[in-house]
Amino acid sequence: MKEILLKTEGLSKSFSSGGALQHVLKNVDLKLYKGDFTVIMGASGAGKSTLLYALSGMDTPSLGKITFGDRVISDLSSDGLAVFRREHCGFVFQQIYLIDSMSVFDNVMAAGLLVNSDKRALAERAKKLFAAVDIPEETQRKFPTQISGGEAQRAGIVRALINSPEILFADEPTGALNSQTGLDVLNTLTEFNEQGQSVVMVTHDMRSAWRGNRILYLKDGSILGECDLGKYEPNNSERHEKLAAFLAKMGW
Amino acid sequence: MNKNLLLARSNIRKAKGQTAAIIVLVLLSSLMMNLWLMLGTDYKKNFDRTYDRLNDGHVTIAVYHADDELISFTEDMLKKRSDVTEYCVTETMGWVGFFEYNGGEINSNFIFLDKETALSRNVGKFEITEDGGGSGLYLPMLYGNDYSIGDEIELSVGSETLRYTVCGFFNSASVGSHNCSVCAMILTKDKYDELSRLGTIPSETFISVRIDDKTKSEAVETELKGLIEEYTDVPFVSSSYVLVSSSRYISQSICASILSAMAFLITLIAAVVVSSNVMNYIHEDMQNLGALKAVGYRSGELISALISQFSGIALLTAAIGTALSYTIFPALNEMMIAQTGIPYSMRFLPIPCAVTLVFTVTVVAAAVFFSAKRIRKIEPITALRHGIQTHSFRKNHVPLDKTAAPLNFALALKNVFSEKKRNVTIAVTMLVLSLVIVFSSVMLDNFVLDEHKFVDLVIGVTEDALIDVLPTSEEELKDALQSDPRVEKYYLFTSTYVTHAGGVSLMATVCDDCQKITNQGVIVEGRFPKYDNEVAVAIKYSREKGLRIGDEISFTTGSNEEKYIISGYTQLSNNLGKDCLLTRGGFERVAKLGNCSYYIDLSDGTDIDAFCEEITEPFSGEVNGAMNIASIIEGTGRVYISLITVIVIAVLILSGVIVVFVMYLLVRTILNAKKRDYGVYKALGFTTGQLIIQTALSFMPPMIIFTALGLTLGSFVINPLMALFLGGIGIVKCTFAVPLCFNVIAGAGIVLFAFGAACLMSLRIRKIVPRKLLSGE
Repeated sequence: MKEILLKTEGLSKSFSSGGALQHVLKNVDLKLYKGDFTVIMGASGAGKSTLLYALSGMDTPSLGKITFGDRVISDLSSDGLAVFRREHCGFVFQQIYLIDSMSVFDNVMAAGLLVNSDKRALAERAKKLFAAVDIPEETQRKFPTQISGGEAQRAGIVRALINSPEILFADEPTGALNSQTGLDVLNTLTEFNEQGQSVVMVTHDMRSAWRGNRILYLKDGSILGECDLGKYEPNNSERHEKLAAFLAKMGW
Repeated sequence: MNKNLLLARSNIRKAKGQTAAIIVLVLLSSLMMNLWLMLGTDYKKNFDRTYDRLNDGHVTIAVYHADDELISFTEDMLKKRSDVTEYCVTETMGWVGFFEYNGGEINSNFIFLDKETALSRNVGKFEITEDGGGSGLYLPMLYGNDYSIGDEIELSVGSETLRYTVCGFFNSASVGSHNCSVCAMILTKDKYDELSRLGTIPSETFISVRIDDKTKSEAVETELKGLIEEYTDVPFVSSSYVLVSSSRYISQSICASILSAMAFLITLIAAVVVSSNVMNYIHEDMQNLGALKAVGYRSGELISALISQFSGIALLTAAIGTALSYTIFPALNEMMIAQTGIPYSMRFLPIPCAVTLVFTVTVVAAAVFFSAKRIRKIEPITALRHGIQTHSFRKNHVPLDKTAAPLNFALALKNVFSEKKRNVTIAVTMLVLSLVIVFSSVMLDNFVLDEHKFVDLVIGVTEDALIDVLPTSEEELKDALQSDPRVEKYYLFTSTYVTHAGGVSLMATVCDDCQKITNQGVIVEGRFPKYDNEVAVAIKYSREKGLRIGDEISFTTGSNEEKYIISGYTQLSNNLGKDCLLTRGGFERVAKLGNCSYYIDLSDGTDIDAFCEEITEPFSGEVNGAMNIASIIEGTGRVYISLITVIVIAVLILSGVIVVFVMYLLVRTILNAKKRDYGVYKALGFTTGQLIIQTALSFMPPMIIFTALGLTLGSFVINPLMALFLGGIGIVKCTFAVPLCFNVIAGAGIVLFAFGAACLMSLRIRKIVPRKLLSGE
């Protein structure tokens, strides 16, 4: 039996737009499990990112409840959510968003020092993570504008993982990268997942979705279906076909 | 619509807050500048207009004696001179005296005129400004802020106490204030006759002379005095247009100097803020600028659009600031009139307005032009694709794995190093404000809280009491003082006049023992005269005439001329920096003393007024006057103290306003420029509170450094700066104590205030939400 990491009950999110209320998420009941690589897919406007905001505590739902372990996070204040994010979540953004005025290494340290004040231990962990994503020390000391997009995104993954989060949220992490660097990033995420890191990734790229073991398909703010692909195996064509069939069924 | 206007409108819409803050700064600077120009130009001209309207004398002499022979001699003397265009010689009465004013006392050489004579003079006319009718005394309108029509006034003149009902006020340019050498009092016919019958006030010959060139009034005064001295040894007092025009406008001169300094400093801050704003605009709008270039806009057009935008705002704001200055001026005018005593009717002054507008717009346009020049370097393709990196980070300051600083402070420090332009704005602002703090603290400490320090500098020598007797009673007075247990010390300190051969008439202070003077700081360089062939000369006059210590100088009185060696420089404002200090023997080489003033230091707790009364009682007619100096200082000083208090409060409030607006601009600029970074920080788990503190903290290092630097520099430059402000009254070397403790507290206060303001302005961080960072759907 898999351990539930995060659970939503009747999760709804509405936005007011031009006086009209737009229901982006509708009664979403969802469980995220420890160690899973969950992929959220769907067409544009389906509510993927809104669901990611809510799950990660970047936004509060209009209705419903989100529980992390045995703690309800949907009722937390914005500062409470900030503390929740720093302690339990890691983020990888499509646009990477490293802070330009800090070195790559300091970008990671800035996130790490929020949780861990032991600078030496933190620096050691950062170095290990950088090594794991194949970023040499010389690159770590550079500024974000001085490195390639792939390097920056891998540094972004290190920053997301520095606090050993229970869940790593990735929002279209390859969206701003070319195919090769995108592949490197996906490999990195896969490797960390294989080491036990739970990952939730929003994507509309099938090649990226293939990395997940669980695919959720969102349509009009509701989960239309889900597919259990099982463990990622690079040469498993059956797995690939299963995903294609699921997406076809969902109307992809 | 013109394309420049379209661009300008679009820019303003995007930066409403910053535009508003710039508006406030430009408004303040233009307001100050126009006030300064009004006060510095037309206000002084008003004195000339009054002088001309009253056909007032460029040289005024009051000889303490009047008879047909003297009057005839005077008229003959004036008739012979080709430079004298008109004159009026009036036989009247007068002597040294004092009366209560502003809770203290005012002393002067009073001349009493009857109303009819005063109003019929052809030169040195008087105009009644308020007339309550009845019988009594008309006061110079200067004293209208303490006396009203119907009030009783008591004048102590010589040994006589005169009581009158105030029945009106009059205006006179040359003799309408205690700041002139002679202060007129007009009596109704019955009261004048009554005083005349009393016979205790000496008769006086009051001479008003107009000359063809008023700038030569000092020289003519000296020559006329020389002729009178040759004719008679009767004491007299005199003044010139140059002296009166300066002495009646001391407050105006100080206030105008302070306003000009504030106007320039605020304009400087406004220019730096505009410049920083333009650079940020270019940084933030790089892609838009690239797009505009791509559609065909030339760099010059984009720059001129920015210049139009800011200049337009500056012009409109400066116009409003100028208009506002007209609403504030009446209050300032009231304060000034309390010192000048010359009424001023406010009117629209086109030249100061034009200068204010042109100067403000030019400074702003120049700031925009120099900051916007980099638009020329923007290549449209580069800007459209990536924007141009405005930062070239070469060094990772404060590495987080090595620094011992807490995280928020370390991140704030990183911002300090990466925001050099912002640091320049903070540097200029804090340097300026620190100087303002030092100025305020010096004024408060040396003037408002303890006026004695200022009095020591400006008046020079003060003790508790002054008793002036005729030379015939001098020894008796000295015996009385010697035997009185209340007397701590006493010394001769009499003012008279000598003429510097080849120069002008100098007030000569004669002292029999300079070592007894309590304020030894009167000598600012060299030493007091010890020997009879030595003299200490006013530093201002010495500088004007190139006189050095050790030089020989000739003084004349009447036909006598003697040489003296300059032993030191004095700094007294008695005669606006035209004075000297001699030993008794030194003065007696050229003339005999006509009167002997003794300065007396009394033991603590002595009733000064009672002492003066008791000590002078046996001498009756031999006493020219007895004064409670402390009370006189209080009376004359109160006008200045209230003026300085208002100025200090105003500049401190202004400093606070500037801090708030500069912080607003800086924080808004940061929040706009780093909105994305704040979103990232929030996504990573930084709380709003942490980010607010981090933002406010990032201002603190440059703020603390430049405030400390400004306070230190300010402490060194404040005395030369004050000397510049006070130069008009003869002060060229200031030695004000700089209150270190107050400055440190005020400096810390302004930094904390800025921190608080930055925190408040940073509350907008609450509105930055991390979800905006995620990809759209």
